Amino acid sequence: MISRGYGRSRVRVLWRRLRATCASVMVTVVGGAALAQGPSPPPQPRVTIGYVEIAGDPRYEPITSYGRMVLKSRERPFAGAQLGLDDAQALARVLKIEFALERITVASAAELAGAVTKARDAGVHFFIVDAPAAALELLAGAVRGRDILVFNATASDDTLRRNLCVAEFVHTLPSMAMGMDALMQYLVSRKWTNLLAFEGPLPADATMTKAFENSAKKFGARIVARQQFKPGTDPREREKNDPALLSAINRDYDVVFVADHSFDFARQVPYHTVRARPVVGSIDLEPVAWHWTWEHHGAPQVNSRFQKLPGGRHMEGADWAAWIAVKMMAQATLRTRSVDFDKQRKFMLEEGSFDGDKGLAVSVRPWDHQLRQSVLLAAPYSVVARAPVEGFLHKTNELDTLGDDEPETPCRLNK
Amino acid sequence: MRVSILVLAVLVAAAPPAHAKGTGLIFVSNEKTNNLTIIDPKTYQVVRDLKVCRRPRDMHFNADHTKLYVACGDDDVIDIVDVAKLEVVGKLATGPSPETFALDEKRGRIYVANEEGSSLSIIDIAQNIIVHEVPTGAEPEGVLMSEDGKTLYVTSEVGDLVHLVDAEGGHVTQDVVVGTRPRRFAATPDGKELWVTCELSGEVYIIDRTSFAVASKIEFLPPGMHKTDVTPVGLAMTRDGKTAYVTLGHASHVAAVDVPTRKIQGYILVGKRSWGITLSRDESKLYVANGFGDDITVIDARSRKAIVSIPVGRIPWGVVIDD
Repeated sequence: MISRGYGRSRVRVLWRRLRATCASVMVTVVGGAALAQGPSPPPQPRVTIGYVEIAGDPRYEPITSYGRMVLKSRERPFAGAQLGLDDAQALARVLKIEFALERITVASAAELAGAVTKARDAGVHFFIVDAPAAALELLAGAVRGRDILVFNATASDDTLRRNLCVAEFVHTLPSMAMGMDALMQYLVSRKWTNLLAFEGPLPADATMTKAFENSAKKFGARIVARQQFKPGTDPREREKNDPALLSAINRDYDVVFVADHSFDFARQVPYHTVRARPVVGSIDLEPVAWHWTWEHHGAPQVNSRFQKLPGGRHMEGADWAAWIAVKMMAQATLRTRSVDFDKQRKFMLEEGSFDGDKGLAVSVRPWDHQLRQSVLLAAPYSVVARAPVEGFLHKTNELDTLGDDEPETPCRLNK
Repeated sequence: MRVSILVLAVLVAAAPPAHAKGTGLIFVSNEKTNNLTIIDPKTYQVVRDLKVCRRPRDMHFNADHTKLYVACGDDDVIDIVDVAKLEVVGKLATGPSPETFALDEKRGRIYVANEEGSSLSIIDIAQNIIVHEVPTGAEPEGVLMSEDGKTLYVTSEVGDLVHLVDAEGGHVTQDVVVGTRPRRFAATPDGKELWVTCELSGEVYIIDRTSFAVASKIEFLPPGMHKTDVTPVGLAMTRDGKTAYVTLGHASHVAAVDVPTRKIQGYILVGKRSWGITLSRDESKLYVANGFGDDITVIDARSRKAIVSIPVGRIPWGVVIDD
């Protein structure tokens, strides 16, 4: 018997197509319970977060192998934002403020800026932008100096934090540098400091390997060899495509690191190296923002609520990054008791610390607007460790041992 | 000298125990080993390892201590343990993932927070059915029943809220916003204040029960610890309403607080991720469950020193004493 409920089960989902003023833009609104209930709901202040995505984003094409075997299905993190909205419903009722999530799909990266500006004109200030780094760079010009806050939940590129350096961006996904620092802290804590690196042909593989090298330098580990691989089965190129040959080097090493965004090579590295060594990086031990087996700090409940959403699957790093963005918006509304964007923005960027269900409270770094947070080091069926790893200390906040600390970045949003 | 000790010993032995039935046994619920570790209070030896439902957490005795109720998060039940036999003799169905609960014997009801169901189940013990399901904010945790049994206080960990629930009608009547990730309660014996631990913001919020508004808050920082490690969860208060003890989770300390002045009197070192805390009936000892230490710490409440730590099962959640 449920009396006047407002739980998740009562949250109705409204699908509404906006007038086709721009044929390529489709907007759907997921509203709170109040929106769906009652004949004439009293007007309530509303805070909306837009979720902007690019149709056909290649990052969400499944990674398949021979025979269309799906190795990774790669879903958009919209479900993470939806969970954030569900979680905010109890607050919405108490605050008498409605939270809404508006899904906006554009046809190409070039239309991102237009869609964001248009939604801003319709009263939306917060956006989770689900787009790769190149698209975010295109968007930057349109949001600079405006009353807009863009959450980057899917692009880990350090260049967005270091070089693009936009005050209107908040990066809720850990940067590549944070991930590699987390991995390196763990390797160093185990005294596995001699490292063999396999680097793939993609620019992203090179960037990842470079970040791994930087982390090795930062924490006192050594890359004994950096081997470029070329995926394939061509026997004439076996020196480049066979993990056994690539790992047959004169020097010993403790761990094999592999940077392979295409993944097909990476999956063939474990158990194929000449020496019996663990594999880290793109497979086996991966630094992630979230993992479905993380069992501390209330994580099982978050994972369970996520799994129960339509399309139930395991919650991943980008889902967490979208979820926390909605949570930050709800918390900013709660703690400032206001729907005023300037107050909310100030709270999020300068005062707020948030419960990310992974230990130490998360907060925004003032210098580059990266969300400081723990990084999980995940094996396929367990979280092996949570970084910052015990013993890696910082003078103000241990979380700043991961990624760019204030003196280490050219980005100076706080100066 | 020897004589006087002997006399004292005889006197102690002759004094009738405060509660005749009390065995003094210490019950510890272990989340990961699905058992209760039952410990002798004098020798600190484990006397029984009692298998119960999966992921046992909160425990409460009935008034005459013949039964112990144990909520199990992974089986969606409350097991009923016969305290004399130390056997599971029955179970009650709950909502998804019960964590903490309050027992109202007068009305024959149990109020249990279902961590994964975002609800509070009101269970009729005799009929073994859920008579009400009260929707709450996500991850409800702490449940406290008012002295008259008419009102319940429930925290929502995700909502940062304390709900006021009408126990009879089974619905939320008021909410108050507190710190981040509110966990558990203690009420001052004068009925005026409600203390709530807020795990992530590292505070105890004090709610005025008459106005149902935040009256004050206390922040903790044991020497040498990081603020971010201070994650208060468990609360115990002395019957005279003078002292409160707060477990600080990852900061591995228990704080002792002077209740009237709300001043922190000191910190006691305990094990890793201390959560559950219980005072013995004579209030001479404190028992603390160290979740990441797989042990409990026994503290002398007067000297405020840890006496001993006792290994138990994996991830101990809480401690209760049959005294």
